[in-house]
Amino acid sequence: MIVKLKVNGETRSADVPPETTLLKLLREHLNLTGAKLGCDVGDCGTCTVIVDGESVNSCLMLAGRASGREVTTIEGLASSEQLHPLQEKFEELGALQCGFCGPGMIISAKALLDKNPEPTVFEVKDALSGNLCRCTGYTKIIEAILDAGRIMSTAEAKS
Amino acid sequence: MALLAENNSRARALAGGTDLVVDLKHAPGDVDLLVDISQLPEFSGIEETEEGLRIGSMVTFSELMASPIVNQMTPEIVAASHTVGAVQTRNLGTIGGNLVTCVPSADSAPSLLALDAIATIAGSDGKRSVPLEEFFVGPRKTILEPHELLAEILIPKKNLGKPSHFIKFGLRKGQALALVNVAAALYLNDDGKVAEPRIALGAVAPTPMFARKAEASLDGKRPNEESLLEAARVAVSEIKPIDDFRASANYRRHLVQTLTYRTLKRSAEIASEQ
Amino acid sequence: MATKTKEVLESKVKDSEIEDLTAPDSLKVPAKPALKPVVVPVDKPVVYPLDLPESEIRLRTPAVGQRASRPDGRLHGLGQTQYIDDMTFPHMIFAKILRSEHAHAKILSIDTSEAEAMPGVLATLTGSEIPVNSFGPTLQDQPVLANEIVRHAGDGVAAVAALTEQQASDALTKIKVKYKPLPTVFDPLEAIKDDAPKVHAPRSNIYASKIIKKGDVEKALKESDQVFHKQFKTQMVEHVPLEPHSSVAMWDANGRVTIYSSLGRITLGRDDLARTLGKPMNKIRLVGTIVGGNFGGKNEITTEPILAMLSKKTGRPVKGTFTRGDEFISSTTRHPFVMDYTTGVKKDGQILGRKIRLVLDGGSYCSWTSTTLGKGGILAAGPYNIANLLVEAHAVYTNKTTTGAMRGFGAPQVCFAYESHMDDMAHALGIDPLEMRLRNAFTEGSVSPTGQLLQSVAIKESLQQAAERFGWKESAK
Repeated sequence: MIVKLKVNGETRSADVPPETTLLKLLREHLNLTGAKLGCDVGDCGTCTVIVDGESVNSCLMLAGRASGREVTTIEGLASSEQLHPLQEKFEELGALQCGFCGPGMIISAKALLDKNPEPTVFEVKDALSGNLCRCTGYTKIIEAILDAGRIMSTAEAKS
Repeated sequence: MALLAENNSRARALAGGTDLVVDLKHAPGDVDLLVDISQLPEFSGIEETEEGLRIGSMVTFSELMASPIVNQMTPEIVAASHTVGAVQTRNLGTIGGNLVTCVPSADSAPSLLALDAIATIAGSDGKRSVPLEEFFVGPRKTILEPHELLAEILIPKKNLGKPSHFIKFGLRKGQALALVNVAAALYLNDDGKVAEPRIALGAVAPTPMFARKAEASLDGKRPNEESLLEAARVAVSEIKPIDDFRASANYRRHLVQTLTYRTLKRSAEIASEQ
Repeated sequence: MATKTKEVLESKVKDSEIEDLTAPDSLKVPAKPALKPVVVPVDKPVVYPLDLPESEIRLRTPAVGQRASRPDGRLHGLGQTQYIDDMTFPHMIFAKILRSEHAHAKILSIDTSEAEAMPGVLATLTGSEIPVNSFGPTLQDQPVLANEIVRHAGDGVAAVAALTEQQASDALTKIKVKYKPLPTVFDPLEAIKDDAPKVHAPRSNIYASKIIKKGDVEKALKESDQVFHKQFKTQMVEHVPLEPHSSVAMWDANGRVTIYSSLGRITLGRDDLARTLGKPMNKIRLVGTIVGGNFGGKNEITTEPILAMLSKKTGRPVKGTFTRGDEFISSTTRHPFVMDYTTGVKKDGQILGRKIRLVLDGGSYCSWTSTTLGKGGILAAGPYNIANLLVEAHAVYTNKTTTGAMRGFGAPQVCFAYESHMDDMAHALGIDPLEMRLRNAFTEGSVSPTGQLLQSVAIKESLQQAAERFGWKESAK
């Protein structure tokens, strides 16, 4: 079946078997390998993308369900001249080690900060409870998200 | 519904997919048709009607948590929704899906039961309504016939604003299966005595259940340490918990006793604040 | 102002939050309207590579003494880091592995004919087609694909390569394997007995041992004021790297195989591949990349020889990735330890002698057990001066998932035992647990259980400083 959707602002389409998940559509048909396959059952969060403003496990969403919708992946956050504040802060604070959880973590963080740029530590932990990390212990990830949030609310205040 | 009926065991209704898609990946069986019901307008929306609070079965947990009406009228449903999975799960998962998957530990069940929720079922031959308690038949088995779907949940008008408290106990704070989940609800009469007590328990029997004897033991009494502890003890006598790798039956009994006491106590506190 | 780590770590969970999952007030729907999302101006669509200046931290000189940043940090944040499963090669196909459901069984026959006829299937593989069907860092007792006996549920038996992953998975269900179940043994304390079912018959289940003797432990125990005994057990732990094991294999016309792999040890990997494929090392090219978490579980080959053989048969690059289920049952795990500690002490807490028996649940194959046994044995007595010591450590086969390397290599298990034991003894003797440790801890020039002279020893100072910092004396009251 043909699936037509907007990914990172661009209209894309692919012809896929109906049982294809959004994750496989992104990784194998659109070559957007930022979202990862960590468990394929919606537990680890490495496949997290944003669909119409909400973070979802793309391994659980069938591609057909994403038809006509707007998807944001990790590849859609930076421009050629500017990193997203989250990407800046994750790099600066050394928030990631192996990096595999990174895209899902940053996307979940973006979904949070877009709604609530000044979350408490508890709110960050709650928003990220669907994203596992085996390397870091999460401390610097949380710091980076809080710092990025401050940048974003300042930018918002200025605009 | 016609599609589901004619294809019977080879077809499944797809709501959020957070349970179904996982199952299909591991044990597809003979399923070769998925009917996406998640966007059906008849099954969506949250509104107050003459009869009470109507929640469409395809409403997601995130939608429930963000709904001003639900927050105002039945705040414990927001609390219960918050315990389901993680943000991503709640953005896709629906209350209908949770109830139809019908595991004993379904997190939406106890607080709905405690408010005497009614389930409306839509079939190709019309609609029928049953008290939610009757909707659950056994683990992963509801009263739905192959040609039927859960359309909506109704919280009766008289229970909107009824003091209630829900506690889920899991091995983690997020992405956890409940070892035990409990919801209590009660009114206090003008003379400070308990009226219409409800105690709903999950994960301690084949389906979510009421602790009717415990309710009866508390009915008409003042909610003090003695009566609350007694109700908690009676609740333990009514359950059939199992030993599994998450917890022993004994530990579940202990949890039911403690959590029944706590949810009743908190409900009574809310009632006296009103 | 940057968030301090302290702020994050001190955000303690209230007791009531542990049991009560109802949303605290800060999580209820905010009264203020949601802010507009901040849009990062996308003036040009992103094409790789990005035209960004290098981060300021990385340009500071002199670099020594400055805070460093990871070179891959920026790539991770952009999702540009290429893990094995992100790589594709022209004409690449996919392999899946059929795994035994039996914990111990003889393979009577494997029939892949029906699988080979399935749509999209280009080749199948069984263990008998692998030139040298065995590998392992110490004992080469593990088959690449079991072709005679399966020794744990999850042991690989056959493989399929097909045009898509789905086709490969479908074909697996058509492979017919006939098994004759054999008696099983799961408990290491059962497996160590002479009459237990043998996992690698006719060899004994005890496949590695280590004895450390120092002084005269029986005499020391007799001279002790009190002798304590306890048995400690630790469980099997799986690394759960977020990135599943993954590799891609392809050949060139000069008979050289190139394998991209999540493997963490390249030279050892080349050695194993040369041996199993029957090729000289200069025909094996192994490319390691950023690994999505290793923790010890990616220290040895897994599917690489299988993918190499399938690639040879089909003339195409072949990718194989573990499912999360495979990770739990078919990748190596941490050894469960059963640890018996007997310690003789003087009334004042000084340890005179210690006797330890370790039984390692060595799983179905050796893997890194010998190393784990060695470390566990040497560290079992703890960082304490014990003049009279006997450590007897044995690794036994069981019909469970292979136990191998995992961070600590035996140290975490024995540490749990000797430190718990120390607390038990201190409480029984009425001595402060910190004092008990200070009385026995290594100092500069102490000698390890294996006779090594220790230098740069700072245990006592560390314990004392730590105790001061978190107010040990106050909380002990």
